[in-house]
Amino acid sequence: MSADATPIGAGTGPDARFHAFDQLRALAMLTGVLFHAALAYSPLLHRLWPTADAQHSPWVDALVWLPHLVRMPLFFVVAGFFTAALIARRGMDGLLRNRVRRILVPFLVAWPLVHGSVSQLTGWAAQALDQPSPLLLMLREWMAQPDPPALPPSTGHLWFLYYLLLFSVMTWAGRTLGLGALLRRWRALGPHVVALTLPLLVLPGFLGTQAPHPAPESLLPQFWAIALYGPFFALGAALHGQADWLAPLRSRVWPAALLCLLLYAAFLWRLGVDAAPEPWATASWPVAVLESLVAAFGTLACLVAGVRWLDRPNAWMSYLARSAYWVYLTHLPILFALQYLLLDVALAWPWKFVLGVAATLALCVGSYELCVRRTRLAHWVG
Amino acid sequence: MKLDLNWPTIRLLVVKDWQLFQKQLAAYVLGGIVALGFLGLAKPWAFYIGSLLLIIVQVAVACFAISTSLLIERKEQTLAFVMSLPVSPLDFTIAKLAGNLLTFLVPFAVIGLATLLVILSTPLPDGLVVFALLLFGHILLAYCASLTVAMQVESEGWNTFVMIASMVLINPFIMLLGQIESIREVGRGEAIVWSGDAVLILSAQLLLGLALLAFTAWWNGRKPAFY
Repeated sequence: MSADATPIGAGTGPDARFHAFDQLRALAMLTGVLFHAALAYSPLLHRLWPTADAQHSPWVDALVWLPHLVRMPLFFVVAGFFTAALIARRGMDGLLRNRVRRILVPFLVAWPLVHGSVSQLTGWAAQALDQPSPLLLMLREWMAQPDPPALPPSTGHLWFLYYLLLFSVMTWAGRTLGLGALLRRWRALGPHVVALTLPLLVLPGFLGTQAPHPAPESLLPQFWAIALYGPFFALGAALHGQADWLAPLRSRVWPAALLCLLLYAAFLWRLGVDAAPEPWATASWPVAVLESLVAAFGTLACLVAGVRWLDRPNAWMSYLARSAYWVYLTHLPILFALQYLLLDVALAWPWKFVLGVAATLALCVGSYELCVRRTRLAHWVG
Repeated sequence: MKLDLNWPTIRLLVVKDWQLFQKQLAAYVLGGIVALGFLGLAKPWAFYIGSLLLIIVQVAVACFAISTSLLIERKEQTLAFVMSLPVSPLDFTIAKLAGNLLTFLVPFAVIGLATLLVILSTPLPDGLVVFALLLFGHILLAYCASLTVAMQVESEGWNTFVMIASMVLINPFIMLLGQIESIREVGRGEAIVWSGDAVLILSAQLLLGLALLAFTAWWNGRKPAFY
């Protein structure tokens, strides 16, 4: 999932927290695959998700939106941290060269392949399946038109690469204009003040889009996505070289986790109350405030917990972290193919979910082992 | 013309101009991202603000590139320092032209490509590509005219006048394009059609721009002294 080439796990000196960040990245990746797989059984997205199964469960909605609110913010904190690490080690030129090799080139190569394969699979599923999802049904009718208009291209699930590039460029611009001092001042306020101001900083992002927030898949930068993920990226950058900065928050992990659960319950309740009259309406103030609090406190709780408990070498997690980028790049077409096939299979949805996830991970990790790990591709996406 | 050029020093002078331009470039990059962000809102008012902001960024790039590398340098009398270097007037002319073109053309090309991407990847009519390229052609021509004058004329007043006048002319130019039916109608449709009028205007802009640059290089290159 991440596109950083920095060796992880030195274990001493300024790199002491790299194991933790590396493993957090792997967990964010795994959560992403689980999240995309679970959306097929979400009542909330039943009409909007292409692989939506006829069976769905409110338990899915009760469980998936919490990791959704935390996983990408956490990913951008990790990305910001590694960006600062790259600048510290190789300078701004080194960062830009690394971003071209590890993000721009993989994005330009993977994007048409992923976009094309998902489009082809979805077109096939719309025509061939006996029990298509509501979106596939709509697509079937749309394709039956004599001259259907083409859908505008989007970055799809590779949007995170687009925003990593954008944030790298903004990092260069910010440093050139001397805006790094603002970040240092924010950090100097201390972890408690930063934790309390973080929800305020990301609130405009949640207010600017629907709830739950979608993926910013447009080829144009979205203000709400910059406002939402930018502060997390900046927080990650501010953490580099500050190994003990998070230490005062250690005792707050469990209270923060409990608070997150309570806020999340309130978020689910408000989501039901505010059931949008139109699908593209932006989030109401109460929902956006709750989302900001859950995202900020949840991300910080995961971060502090990760630094506390994952800051040691772990062979399995290291392997997962190394394969994460490839797995995340390739998982969606595979997952969609499997879930389209499962739409016509008479099986309870939990089994379909487990089958879809297990087979996707097996194929992605298997292809990493065969095609990437010991080949030159590892230089780009390994 | 004897071309005995000091390329290492020319390169250093170009790099110097590029490095001095970094802060401005960073500001333009942020301005460009904000402009694209407005376009990404997919609302008519946001499209108006975003496209206007893109033009403002382009104009700012053109004016400040010339101002930083030529007018301010003259004001601060850095030419005396340059004269102490092993460079001829021709070396200096080439370095200034190359440095200016680099600082202008890099952001110009990036913003131009981004604009085309916006038009082609959104529900905006693809025919707007013609209109957009003609606007970029105008900015390029206005930049070449301003650069030519800046290289010949030391008067700050005249330079400011030419920069402002040539860039402000984009407004009547937009109105003129709106009056030409073959261009106006293409801008509303999905097909990118290069009518005879559009080709003529774009060719004239490019040829005139190139001619101005060639004249500047020739005129300055034949000077026996820096002044």
